[in-house]
Amino acid sequence: MRQFDTVRLRLLGGLALLGAGVVWIALFGAHALRTVRRSEAAQVATAQRSGEISSGIETSVLQQLNAGQQYMVTPTPEWRTQFNEAADQSFEFSRQLERTRGLTIDQRLTVNRIQELQSSIEVGYAMAHALRDLGRDDEARVWANAVLTPAGELTRAVRGLASEMTANARRAEQSLAALTARWEAYLYLGLLATIFGAALVGYWTVSAVEEPLERMALAAERLGSGDLRVTATGHMPLEIHVLSETMRRMAERLRTIVREIVQESDQIATSAGELSSISEGLAATAAQVSSAMTEISSGAERQRVELDAIGGGLEELRRTAGDLAEAAERVATLGEEIETVASRHQGDVASASGTLLDVREVVQTTSKQISQLAEQTAAIDDFVDLIRRISSQTNLLALNAAIEAARAGEHGRGFAVVAEEVRQLADESARAAEAVTKTTNTIRDQVDEVTATMAAGMAKVRGIEEIAGGAARGLEAIVAAVSQVEQAAGRVSQVAQQNRELTARLEERALQVMSQSAAHASGAEEVTAAAEQQGASTEQMAATSGQLLQAAEKLRSAVQGLRV
Amino acid sequence: MRHGAELALAELNARGGVRGRQLELAVADDSGSEDTAVRVAQQLYANRDVVAVIGHLASGTSLSAAQVYGADPTPLVMVTPSATSPDLSGVSPYVFRLCPTDIRYGTALARFARQSLGAERAGILFTSNAYGRGFRNTFRSEFVALGGKVIEEDPYIPAIFSIEPYLTHLNRAGIDVLVLAVEAGGSEMTLRQIRALGAHWRVLGGDALAGIESAGDVAEGVQLPAAYLPDAPGARNSAFVAAYAKAYPGERPDSRSAGAYDAVNLIARAIEARGADREEIRDYLAGMGRRVPALDGVTGRISFDSSGDVPVKDVVIGMVHNGRLVMEHGK
Repeated sequence: MRQFDTVRLRLLGGLALLGAGVVWIALFGAHALRTVRRSEAAQVATAQRSGEISSGIETSVLQQLNAGQQYMVTPTPEWRTQFNEAADQSFEFSRQLERTRGLTIDQRLTVNRIQELQSSIEVGYAMAHALRDLGRDDEARVWANAVLTPAGELTRAVRGLASEMTANARRAEQSLAALTARWEAYLYLGLLATIFGAALVGYWTVSAVEEPLERMALAAERLGSGDLRVTATGHMPLEIHVLSETMRRMAERLRTIVREIVQESDQIATSAGELSSISEGLAATAAQVSSAMTEISSGAERQRVELDAIGGGLEELRRTAGDLAEAAERVATLGEEIETVASRHQGDVASASGTLLDVREVVQTTSKQISQLAEQTAAIDDFVDLIRRISSQTNLLALNAAIEAARAGEHGRGFAVVAEEVRQLADESARAAEAVTKTTNTIRDQVDEVTATMAAGMAKVRGIEEIAGGAARGLEAIVAAVSQVEQAAGRVSQVAQQNRELTARLEERALQVMSQSAAHASGAEEVTAAAEQQGASTEQMAATSGQLLQAAEKLRSAVQGLRV
Repeated sequence: MRHGAELALAELNARGGVRGRQLELAVADDSGSEDTAVRVAQQLYANRDVVAVIGHLASGTSLSAAQVYGADPTPLVMVTPSATSPDLSGVSPYVFRLCPTDIRYGTALARFARQSLGAERAGILFTSNAYGRGFRNTFRSEFVALGGKVIEEDPYIPAIFSIEPYLTHLNRAGIDVLVLAVEAGGSEMTLRQIRALGAHWRVLGGDALAGIESAGDVAEGVQLPAAYLPDAPGARNSAFVAAYAKAYPGERPDSRSAGAYDAVNLIARAIEARGADREEIRDYLAGMGRRVPALDGVTGRISFDSSGDVPVKDVVIGMVHNGRLVMEHGK
């Protein structure tokens, strides 16, 4: 049943109905007109003929009687000729009467009677004339008088027949008038039925096309504004149903694509967020290292000042050996402090290194996910291609529909508008596919950028690791040197009181310590620089992850307008 | 006429009928009266089993019946073997006839009278009806055209029993030939009165006199035109005459029985070709000689012109001799 519910069949059905009605009206009208014309002409002819013939017969019979009677008085050939001519004439009229169509049997019998009377009139006079010529006047008079009776009957019969024929014609005319009135009513009825039928079919067709089209238009409008969930449903003609089904499939595909994009961008955002928090942690650690190093640095500076003071003190020691032990004591205390600080910072550096390893892992995971994202954008390309093909097919379909509608002429005009709408819809979907391609390209560019930045971040993380390794090794050297200072200071404090000669060596030792402490300071400065460098790298990483986050945000906002 | 039709029907039905069905003859008698003809025609017309009419015999009855048969809604074909009035030509699309018209008979008779008999003065006795008046006119115009003179034209109706005044008048005027444009019944009375008068005119008759030969001595020597004579040459005719003699011992066919025989065969062929339908039969007959082949009957080749007449048929003058009509003069 479904395949018969088409606009085309509706239009054809309506046309056929109209055509049948018009043909019926035309045929019936033509038939009625023809019948009326024929009948009218026949009635008029009959009336006319009956009048002509009856008066013709009466006149010629009267002439015949006159000539016959005259011959009885004066038997001249002229009267005889006139008599014969009148007789022939009256027979000619009765012959015409006999040939008249449409007489009843009784009327035909009357015609026969008229002819018989004519014959007896003719024979009566002919006999009378022959007897008159032979001089047998008495017999002749009997024959001539015998004519009068049939003559009277003839006149009556002719008049009766003529009036009957006229009355018949009038009756036929009246019945024809009644028939005509009935036919007129039939014609109007037929006309009304045709108009009503045409209006009904027209309304039925228009409502069957208009309402589904409105639903389609509404669905298309909402689709255009980004609501991919809507489709036109309900009862509709086959052509529009096919269109609606195509639109529904298109929206379905778009919905799937957009849903996947949203999922992926969410994932990227999450990853970028994680990355960002890790870099923040890293930056904080680097700041700690930096401040610790500054402390180390200032400690070394103080040590140098102290050692300067020791230099002066040793001279003073030479003068005041008593102060030496105290100074050595202070050195030992200071060395302990240094050791404590250095060891602590060693731990910090080691934990920073660990954190960096974590960072690398996260970055690697992210870069893998981003590669996946790039693959999925390729899938989007495929879908967009599909949409483009569908829209171009729809366009072609709409073009064909437009051609069909043009062929249908006046009746296809409404459908042509539909076809144009469908074609525009197809164009719009093609444009939408174009926009999706653009967006996908932007996403791919950004993903590429992110991938590049991540690679740079990885390289930088590796640099930071190396620097941190250097810092660790420097700190180890500090610790070792400090323990040597402690040992030496211990020994100084032990032997200072006893061995004055040792002071010179001590002075040398002090100088040694001084140069060592300068080396410490420079080492600490190096660590600080390295820590600063690490901080900068971490900042860069944070910036990069920020960018990643931004890209993911952009991606999300690109599909945010679409409801799935 | 009835015998000719019955013979043809018996032969047809013996051969298995038409389209496997037997034909039936419904016989009606118009008694030569126009009134009866109209009534009989009405009955035949109303009978749906009647698909064609063979008849009527005379011109007057044929003319009266023609319009009854030709009326709507179910017009009926009539094929007359013997009505000769020119008025019948084209009177209705449903009228066909197998004999020549009076124009041909009258002309042939006038030529015979003037050229073969050398007659100069003619008298005409005519029935005051369509046939008599028509035949009179035809004879008169040809006879006068050939240099003859028509002395008298006397009307006749069967209601009068004596035409003695006419004959006395003619005898006084003096004529060579008397032409009888009357039917056989009237002729017999006339011939007897001529004998009684002692006149010795040559008596010529129209085709309506066919059958006068059986009237006895009074008819001896009467000459009349005919389109058919039993002794006409041709195997088909010989077979017909033999079959007729066998079926009706002691009888010889005349132009009317031969015409009726042909008419039955004609209608049977139409039914064979188109079926037993009034309109189809009329359509078939109207096309004979053009759309459908002509029929070779015992009265000659049969086809119809647009007036329903047989276009060409030889007319011969026969003479009553020893109670038989024999060939006297070829055309």
